[in-house]
Amino acid sequence: MKRYVVLVGLLASLALVATACGGGGGPTETGPTGATGGIPTGGILREETTDFGFTNAFDPTGEYLGTAWAIYGNFLLRGLVSYPWLPGEKGGNEPVPDLATDLGEVSADGLTITFTLKDGVMWQPPLNRPVTSQDVAFAFQRINTKSLIAQYGNYYCGTIVGMDCEGKSQEDPIEGIETPDDKTIIFHLERPTGDFLYRLAQPAAAPIPPEVAGCFDKAGEYGRYVMSNGPYMLLGSDELDISSCDTLEPIKGYDPDKFMYVVRNPNYDQATDENRKNYIDGWSYVINTNLDDIYNRVLNGEIDLAHGAPPAAILQQYLTNPDLQDNLKTNSGDRTWYLTMNLIVPPFDDIHVRKAANFVVDKAAMLQATGGPTTGEIATTIEPPTVLPDLADYDPYPSPNHAGDVEAAKAEMAQSKYDKNGDGVCDDPVCDNVLMINRNYEPWTEYTPILTENFKQIGINLKVRELDVSTAYTTIQTMSNLIPIAANAGWGKDYASPFGFDYFLFSTAGLSCEGAVNYSNIGLDEELAKECGDEVYEAWKAATDNGRNPLPNVDADMEACVAKPFGPEYNACWADLDRKIMEEIVPWVPYRWGSQNTVLADTVVAWEYDQSAGWTAYSRTAVNNGLTMDEVAQV
Amino acid sequence: MIRYIVRRLLWVLVTLLLITFLTYLIFFVMPPVHPEVIFAGKQPTPELVAEVRRQFGLDKPVVIQYALFVKRIFLGDEYGWPGLGFSFNTRSALKPIIYERFLITLQLALGAAVLWLVVGVPIGILSALRPRSILDRLAMGFALFGVSTPVFFLGPVMLYVFWFKLGWLPGSGFYSIAKYGVGTWFVHMIMPWSVLALAFAAFYARMTRGNLIEVMGEDYIRTARAKGLPERTVVAKHGLRASLTPVVTMLGLDLGGLLGGALITETVFNLQGLGNYAVQSVFSGDLYAILDVTIIAAFAVTLANLIVDIVYAFLDPRVRYT
Repeated sequence: MKRYVVLVGLLASLALVATACGGGGGPTETGPTGATGGIPTGGILREETTDFGFTNAFDPTGEYLGTAWAIYGNFLLRGLVSYPWLPGEKGGNEPVPDLATDLGEVSADGLTITFTLKDGVMWQPPLNRPVTSQDVAFAFQRINTKSLIAQYGNYYCGTIVGMDCEGKSQEDPIEGIETPDDKTIIFHLERPTGDFLYRLAQPAAAPIPPEVAGCFDKAGEYGRYVMSNGPYMLLGSDELDISSCDTLEPIKGYDPDKFMYVVRNPNYDQATDENRKNYIDGWSYVINTNLDDIYNRVLNGEIDLAHGAPPAAILQQYLTNPDLQDNLKTNSGDRTWYLTMNLIVPPFDDIHVRKAANFVVDKAAMLQATGGPTTGEIATTIEPPTVLPDLADYDPYPSPNHAGDVEAAKAEMAQSKYDKNGDGVCDDPVCDNVLMINRNYEPWTEYTPILTENFKQIGINLKVRELDVSTAYTTIQTMSNLIPIAANAGWGKDYASPFGFDYFLFSTAGLSCEGAVNYSNIGLDEELAKECGDEVYEAWKAATDNGRNPLPNVDADMEACVAKPFGPEYNACWADLDRKIMEEIVPWVPYRWGSQNTVLADTVVAWEYDQSAGWTAYSRTAVNNGLTMDEVAQV
Repeated sequence: MIRYIVRRLLWVLVTLLLITFLTYLIFFVMPPVHPEVIFAGKQPTPELVAEVRRQFGLDKPVVIQYALFVKRIFLGDEYGWPGLGFSFNTRSALKPIIYERFLITLQLALGAAVLWLVVGVPIGILSALRPRSILDRLAMGFALFGVSTPVFFLGPVMLYVFWFKLGWLPGSGFYSIAKYGVGTWFVHMIMPWSVLALAFAAFYARMTRGNLIEVMGEDYIRTARAKGLPERTVVAKHGLRASLTPVVTMLGLDLGGLLGGALITETVFNLQGLGNYAVQSVFSGDLYAILDVTIIAAFAVTLANLIVDIVYAFLDPRVRYT
């Protein structure tokens, strides 16, 4: 495809951009220049990225990229509930009313939730009309329409009565959604759902105007026509001719190949919104193919913000230069990096080997190889503490300074069927040339020697295959590849409820022959094993003694937790389940809770982190560059 | 001559068909990524994957897909003629994207070609006429430097020095003439042209020097001089004409190759041309975008070959086509 010298560099750069990282650090309402007094308004926040990376061409119904969620939430879409656009410690992961007057009225049985819409929330020009409950219902009709490929439709289908994500037309009403008048919407649920508010806070659940979106019945098509009911709108979207579907032309302020510009929405009423501060006059988001150039432009003040996680060299520069340290912001990324082990592939089909792996890995060395504490903190369980605070101090496989405990690992290995002489070192041939998939760029390549050395201490000789990020993922997602162990995987929350984190990772819903995300095959049954091919079926038979010892399954546990009322009881249930997974199933070696690092220019005078989307809270960011959109936009 | 050109054009067509079919096969035999899985999100359930596959037209047998692709190219698609399809990434028509990016690559390639000819050929001539002189040694030193300095090194260094440190030239990015005027366009292109042209200029200088030295030793040059022709005429009319024929061949091939995208230069200088797009498309498994860029690159090379062969007939009186 290309000359490989550049490919390697590009891959590394792109992947680093796409990767969330770990840490602590402090967000601030006063930025690097230490603006005193009031926060200035005006100016254009200029941001550059190497690639937009949208997963569904920016159509809110299916779009699954965190950046897109930040754009929708801060600028364009006001759902019934949303977030305060703050970091986790300031409540950034807690849903708050936005389009709705409150957090809804829940019936005694937990099956009916009623919301009332605020007055004064309008659609942008040329729609120029109030947002109605029918617009909210229409968003769910779109989620339910199969051809629109709602990429996280699973949070609604099977939960709201009448939704199965198999609908034929977005015009078809949903049985479990009532709109008795323009201001009221009632949801009927199949079962009590503790984290339903979080699901409503997702961008796909925000209202969508049928007069525009109704013209597009294929996935992603509406992405170039997104209408706003928020404080900003896409540049030029007010010029849309909505007299018919035929007269609609793509909005000029969004070229998916080049740029996206947003400007203030004249129909927005700040009095209806307690959470967005809207300091800037506009936002410019431009593709720049040269990652180094982007960071140099930030240093020069030619742009205000570099998108994504800074590469290691840039991070080092900001960490070591006292003049730049204040321009680097580090926040929790709500993301766990882990080794995944396959329950049907030797030697990891033995739980003692999996436990031994948890003891033997030197997580401190891996964190150091990643870039140190700025890139995250040592992970001791599945959920980051920002998602499940109950397990903040939980560490089932402790070791001094997290550097690995070889003796404890050997004690576990000695109990496995692969250590016949009980000396704590695997002596079975299955421990030779154990294939491990990894990514082919730093810091993952730095993990290879660490892990190879660690596993050698318990007799497992890893044969590491380093691949680009996409190939690595598709390799472990294809069940018939029977990958024993992989170091390439990471997982970030969809929303800050343990359900949104755990469900697909460990339930049978995350199993499929291709595209599985339950890489460990927890709950794999005979039927699916057969469907995925002879190799999988044979491996499944061997691992389960021909089905006599079925693989562990946590579906019922999850169902029980989901039905708990949201709050302490809900979290306790998930905490118990996580303990069960970590101690009785042991599919992972979690090693790092990643942080999100952000590099700002001196022109940014107020900045906040949006914990919900894991990126800059645009609605709380201010700049002093004094620019106008006319001076910035290349339209 | 007309029959020859028609025959060659038909071969161009066959070549293009072969290349695109091979590209298609490579994509499916060794897919760099699975687009249908990528665009089904983080939880690619079999139902979502199947629906994406259907919408992308990937649910049909490979041969049928290819036949439909060829049909669209010739007969057009819902976005007009030629039917270049749509991007999986943006769900938008590829034609305007490819067209815009081709224009950027064209401006980069043509500007660089002018520069390397203007610099490389005269240096080569001067070196050839004064072999082993100081000028010759300096020129060949330049050639050695140019040939051995990779673009991915020189580009960032030039950006760092002339934009970031000295501020003499503007930074990266493409600024079109239509929107920003000739001046802005020109100053933004200086560094990309220079970086891209350097290696070529060095190579052309060496080639011109070698050819000219060889030609200047030929009998007919001695005859020309013996007839009393002025040295300028000997060099320009008899020496250069023969020695530049291979240069024309190389120019055609190089330019043809560059029109498929000058990947590294485009990436370093944030010029969103075809090479850059090819990389992006491969990363995301954007099949039709990959195929479109392949077609343009292959077409440019084969067409350049044809043009070179035709120009040969005019440059070299011994060449005749039937």
